[in-house]
Amino acid sequence: MTHPANSSKKTSKGGWIFLLSGFVLALIVGWVIFPMVLYSKQSQPMNFNHLLHLDPEKVYGIEGDTRAEQCLYCHAFYEDGTFAGIPKVEKCIECHDDPENPLGELPEEMEFLVKYVAEEKEIPWLVYSEQPDCVYFSHIAHVKMGKLDCQTCHGDHDKTEKLPVYQENRLTGYSILIWGKNIAGYKKNTWDRMKMDDCAECHTKKGHEENNACFVCHK
Amino acid sequence: MELSRRNFIKFVAGGAAGTALSPLPWKLTDDIAIWTQNWPWVPDPSTGEFTNVNSVCNLCPGGCGISVRKVDTRAVKIDGRTDYPVNPGGICPLGMGGLQLLYNKTIRYPGPMRRIGPKGKGEFVMITWDEALDILAKRISNLRKKGMPEAVAAVDGNQRMSTMSVMVERLLTSVGSPNYVTTPSIDDTYLISNLLLQGTDGPMSYDLENADYVLSFGCGLLEGWGAPGRVMNAWGLWHDSAGKTRAKIVQVESRASNTASKADRWVASRPGTDAALALGLAHVIIKNGLYNSRFINNFSFGFENWTSADGKDHVGFKSMVLDKYSPDQVAKITGLNPEDIVSLAKDFARAKAPIAIYGKGKDDLDGGVYECMAVHILNALVGNINKPGGVLINDPLPLSRLPEIKQDAIFKQGLGKPRIDQAGSLQYPFAGSLINNLTNKIIKSPKSPVDTILIFSANPVYTLPDGGAFKEALEKIPFVISFSPFRDETSYMADLVLPDHTYLEKMVDVVWPTGLQYPFYGLSKPVVEPLYNTRNSGDVIIELSKRIDSTVQSAFPWENFEGVLKARAKGLFKAGGLVTYDNMNPAWERKKYGNGSKHNYTSFEEMWTKIKAGGLWYQPVHGFDGWEGLFKTPDRKFEFFSKRVQLAVDEYAGKTTYKTALKNMGITVTGDQVCMPHYEAVSSDVNMSAYPLRMMPYEMINLASGWIPSPPFLYKTIFDNQLKGDLSFAAVNPKTATEYGLKQGDRVIIKSPAGEVEAGLSLSDGAMPGIVYLPLGFGHTAYDEFLRGKGVNPNEIIDAEKDPLSGHSVWWNTHVNLVRI
Repeated sequence: MTHPANSSKKTSKGGWIFLLSGFVLALIVGWVIFPMVLYSKQSQPMNFNHLLHLDPEKVYGIEGDTRAEQCLYCHAFYEDGTFAGIPKVEKCIECHDDPENPLGELPEEMEFLVKYVAEEKEIPWLVYSEQPDCVYFSHIAHVKMGKLDCQTCHGDHDKTEKLPVYQENRLTGYSILIWGKNIAGYKKNTWDRMKMDDCAECHTKKGHEENNACFVCHK
Repeated sequence: MELSRRNFIKFVAGGAAGTALSPLPWKLTDDIAIWTQNWPWVPDPSTGEFTNVNSVCNLCPGGCGISVRKVDTRAVKIDGRTDYPVNPGGICPLGMGGLQLLYNKTIRYPGPMRRIGPKGKGEFVMITWDEALDILAKRISNLRKKGMPEAVAAVDGNQRMSTMSVMVERLLTSVGSPNYVTTPSIDDTYLISNLLLQGTDGPMSYDLENADYVLSFGCGLLEGWGAPGRVMNAWGLWHDSAGKTRAKIVQVESRASNTASKADRWVASRPGTDAALALGLAHVIIKNGLYNSRFINNFSFGFENWTSADGKDHVGFKSMVLDKYSPDQVAKITGLNPEDIVSLAKDFARAKAPIAIYGKGKDDLDGGVYECMAVHILNALVGNINKPGGVLINDPLPLSRLPEIKQDAIFKQGLGKPRIDQAGSLQYPFAGSLINNLTNKIIKSPKSPVDTILIFSANPVYTLPDGGAFKEALEKIPFVISFSPFRDETSYMADLVLPDHTYLEKMVDVVWPTGLQYPFYGLSKPVVEPLYNTRNSGDVIIELSKRIDSTVQSAFPWENFEGVLKARAKGLFKAGGLVTYDNMNPAWERKKYGNGSKHNYTSFEEMWTKIKAGGLWYQPVHGFDGWEGLFKTPDRKFEFFSKRVQLAVDEYAGKTTYKTALKNMGITVTGDQVCMPHYEAVSSDVNMSAYPLRMMPYEMINLASGWIPSPPFLYKTIFDNQLKGDLSFAAVNPKTATEYGLKQGDRVIIKSPAGEVEAGLSLSDGAMPGIVYLPLGFGHTAYDEFLRGKGVNPNEIIDAEKDPLSGHSVWWNTHVNLVRI
């Protein structure tokens, strides 16, 4: 019969390895595998080159005094102040009005003309910054009154040539950009995350703590 | 290094520690919280541009301006328009819930349907418009070929004088059938009353906003009477925000309705005795010399005793009321105190701008002609006709007449035949349409005289107070066509359904809301694209005419329904009128000869474009230019003694005997009284000991009771003493309940000669003893799970008598018994 004390000593040596391997495995699952499983990756229906469209030589009238004005050329406000968000094809055909005659030589433009302009269909864009329905957000209050740049929340999207892959949270259905790409929720830039705390942080920093009241956004 | 139990626990413990130090639990907690907000049954509002589309509500004859908020292409909210004269900003619950009529697909027809199951089951198969129109056109054209065009009939629920109603009547006329029948409306009663007393053919125009004493005989002012948006607004004006009363409101009604409860004075007279009360008030006014002698002496006829050209002496109105309607006599009829009658009369006559208005609840159904006349006589006595706050006399809306219809032999042959409903005959000389007569004739004939019946904007199986007789008639009619957009009770009986658009999908005119004091024309227009394969019935009639034959087609030379709307609206352009409205200057304060006479368009097209954009044409309230030349009666005066009635009775008596004529017309008095407003007790041959109580249906502002179904939203506003679960509740006075050994909450069978329904009992001091009050708007047998089987429809047990003179239905006097179950 083995002495109970010996037996415990024997197992505890190897036991630490179990403890450690459980610990390391969990860390790997939590930090690496979980984010991979949580988010699906989808490409946009077609590419859109923001940089190209912001070139005043190519798009007449795109030059504005500020970067925000340039964005507003397409991402405009409606008459009543509500924000149009992603432009509809109606806006695109202000320039791309003839499905037979592309303005440039890029294959994306041809695809756009054939698939959407000629067919009179909307492009089913996947929206990177779509917030839950329970949140009321007014662009005009932030851009016109708050004088925020678009970059503050949306980053340098206007300088991209390719649309990033859209990553959707399989549980919530919202884009990865709401929680932020960093699974731990760390952020370096203001646009890295779009959670409620980020709104509140900015309100506080700008001296508008009164806007942190629940009912301001959750009507 | 074996995986013992202890090592496994260590592994798990390590895993737990590692997990806690990873973002997994914290992120998952957050995500799960968001996940719970996005379950598939949580409503997901659409996103897109917010817009507002202005239109006019067409769910009742109220003509309220509506502003529909849209997100992208979806309508999401209906509000009242503040820039609209009828309902400055106001809207009723039905109007607000209208989106459910559009989007609730279970109550709508997705396209033309042909019946495959038995009548009433609602089993249909979808067909194409081509097939549907061909089937119908062939049927009508065959009847024409056989020389029986009069076997085509139509039941029309569109507003009187609206272009749709003109189109339906025109279709029938061009086919050669006189059998165009309308569903009942108080407008019919008003028209007859105005014709007999004033000789005028315009609509009843009550200047409510400027009145300072409103004596309402049964009008459900807060239940949706007239144009609800406008009346609610007037109510607000009568009691300003400071609590100061600018107008006194007196409600004559047997039940403590919302209106009665909120009125300054509630006069609970017995139902059906309004004429006696009005004449009792006239008695006091005349006896005390409180009447307007200038009006009576110069502009009225038949007030004093008079002698006709043949030397016969006649009793005047004054003698009649002094003799027969003293406060004591009237008290016996109405159940009121004589002193109350005296004080009411004096209050009324001494007010600066008193107005007596007549109606029955919402006015969805017709009223009594003598009653309506007796009430209007009060306005005449105090001279409050064509004065601010009185009853105004207007011409009909100046719409252009459509071109004459080409007449062929079949047309002449068909139209030469008498109407099946006998409206306009010697027996019913003043009625325009009598749907109850049509129903009875069909039921009683061995073979239905109607072969094909077209039903527009109506659900008569549900709405007619006839104890289910119309449904029985539809069983006998070989071919029934419904144009309803909704799966209603009547369309379930149809062989063919040609669904119309709902009111938010089509263009249609809204003419002169009931009771409004100034000419008004609104345009209801498409707010959203049609959701289904439905068509505007106006366009369908034009298309149908093309397929019947060239003669019928020639009556419809327009390309589409908008063409007809425009053709009629040309008359508005000629008459001039305003097409824009600013709410700083209310319509009821504008006078024709003052600030509002300039119109802001130069061509018809410009006017039409503006109406289409805002949906409105109106003229300011007229100039109150005295009584000279106002009346168009045979005497050119306000007739206390109606010569038209005299002529009609004499003509009928000439064909039969005087006694028979009066009996058939339902008149129990004789002599000069026949031609004057007088009280007629409702006659009934029902065994009073078997049916000792009376049942009166009542209406609510928060439930639709007409041909339009209630949006399910409205059922959330119903009280437990109206409907609880699937049980309707009848209001009964505690005294009556005690007499019958009944108590609160008992389930009873309400039995009438026409049928029986089950209801719960709700005891209320607001109910008159001896009367059972049942709410209207419940008891659907069609539509979907939200409407079907909820409560009972009082119309199913109504055993209607005929109103004297007009032949309309007396729907508020059914004899019933209560049996506990």
